[in-house]
Amino acid sequence: MTDFQPVARVDEVPDPGSLLVEVDDRLVVLIHAAGHWYALDDVCTHDGGPLSDGPVDPAGPSIACPRHGAKFDAKTGAALTMPATKATVAHEVQVDGDRVLVRLAPAG
Amino acid sequence: MSSTTLTPVGFSRESFESFLAARDEPGWMSDLRRAAWQRFEELPMPSRNDEEWMRTDIRLFRLDKYSTPGDAEQSGQLPPALLSAGVEVGGRTASLNSRPVESSLSDELAGQGVLFGSLDELLPEHGDVLRPYVERRVVDPGYDKFAALHAAFWSGGSVLFVPKKVRVEQPLHALAAMTDGGVDFTKTLVVLEQGAEATLLSETASSDPAAGGFHCGSIELIVEPEARLRYVNLQNWGGGVWHFAHQKAHVASRAGLQWTIGALGARLAKVNQHVALTGQDAEAQVNGVMFTHGKQHLSYNTHQHHEAAHCRSDLLYKAALQDQSRTVWRGMIKVDEAAQRTDAYQRNDNLMLSQASRADSIPGLEIEADDVRCTHGSTAGRVDDNQIFYAMTRGYTRTEAVRMIVAGFFQQVFDRITIESVRDALGRAIGDRVRDISE
Repeated sequence: MTDFQPVARVDEVPDPGSLLVEVDDRLVVLIHAAGHWYALDDVCTHDGGPLSDGPVDPAGPSIACPRHGAKFDAKTGAALTMPATKATVAHEVQVDGDRVLVRLAPAG
Repeated sequence: MSSTTLTPVGFSRESFESFLAARDEPGWMSDLRRAAWQRFEELPMPSRNDEEWMRTDIRLFRLDKYSTPGDAEQSGQLPPALLSAGVEVGGRTASLNSRPVESSLSDELAGQGVLFGSLDELLPEHGDVLRPYVERRVVDPGYDKFAALHAAFWSGGSVLFVPKKVRVEQPLHALAAMTDGGVDFTKTLVVLEQGAEATLLSETASSDPAAGGFHCGSIELIVEPEARLRYVNLQNWGGGVWHFAHQKAHVASRAGLQWTIGALGARLAKVNQHVALTGQDAEAQVNGVMFTHGKQHLSYNTHQHHEAAHCRSDLLYKAALQDQSRTVWRGMIKVDEAAQRTDAYQRNDNLMLSQASRADSIPGLEIEADDVRCTHGSTAGRVDDNQIFYAMTRGYTRTEAVRMIVAGFFQQVFDRITIESVRDALGRAIGDRVRDISE
């Protein structure tokens, strides 16, 4: 298990909003919605699209792929709507003062 | 008071000028490089909005991490070659981090007018012979940013020129090697004049299996009328290498090309492989063998372009994927209006050895003639558990059973490869990589 790593400052990501960050050679989309923080692999499991370019829905909370509209649960990464059927990977997030930290889920 | 001369690093106008100044090249070559650099500056980095790059994510690639070929590390040992093991070759050439290291050619072939060795070294001496082929720009330097960068900075690589009606019986061998964190901008140019025949075994390798680096290369194959070329290209870089390549063949009237690619290494590979059948009755057979593991991403765009009538092309790509690796194959058969009586086929088979691997297979046809036979096929599937169970009841271990099934999967493409050492090398390399099937 990797350690938590600082990836952004709190004021860098509006609410609702998202930010693409790089953690150990992995692209992760950091999501800020309704006062909470989430992190997912920046990949739509339908066709590999970049979730970080898609809109965040704070009511879900969820994020949608800009290519075909597949929605993913921001907390768990579960695929909520077609055309995606498989979950994307969700990572743990902590806020420490003005820093946001992410711990990557194990690969696989 | 002391002074120091700073060498520009990275890919900038200054480093380009510095690179150019250090080369001993004819003016026409420098002009081609300048035009390509201009194009590089104009072109944007490929975007995931482009259809061709939609499935290949290069956002983690940092061009500024790498130096130009002129500034690259020059020390290091050449890794062993796989394709030439046990083969008596007629000549060999090798480069390390895009700089020529060694070249040799048998006296007999040299006496017949064959040129083989480093393009860097042969171009100044044989510019009169090679210039028309270099200037043909088989690979378009304006195709994308990587093509332009390569055309501006190519360095090292190999050239094979076989004069009219000369038959080279012994294979020739070329190795492009890279140290960890190095760069490789090699260019391969093969010219077979009318009625000539040759076999070239070409491979890439890193100093160690996990090594990183940046390859930005090109391959240009020119097969003139009635010539026959067998060309093998094995990509076996270390697992951290970014590999960007443009490869194209021109096959003229009644000429034949057998082109085999093996793709085993690299962290990410994005390759455009293009065969243009430019003269009547030309034929091309293209064989692809891919094995991926870890988090590798190999993306191949293949293009069979029928420009003339009565030509045949036959492409077979087979991929086995392990772990979380991914392959993308986009194949296109393009038939021009003039290319009546075309016979073209393309097929891509994928064997999924893990739940988390992924293969995107996208065949395509674009046909403007009305009297053609063009077909394509694509398959993806997992290993049948019954086959593993059956093999284990006959005394094989699970791993042996999986190896056997993977070998059987590739047999169809191995049967098409007419060079025994290539079949053996690919079979061994794949066998070493197969572990087990993960659930």
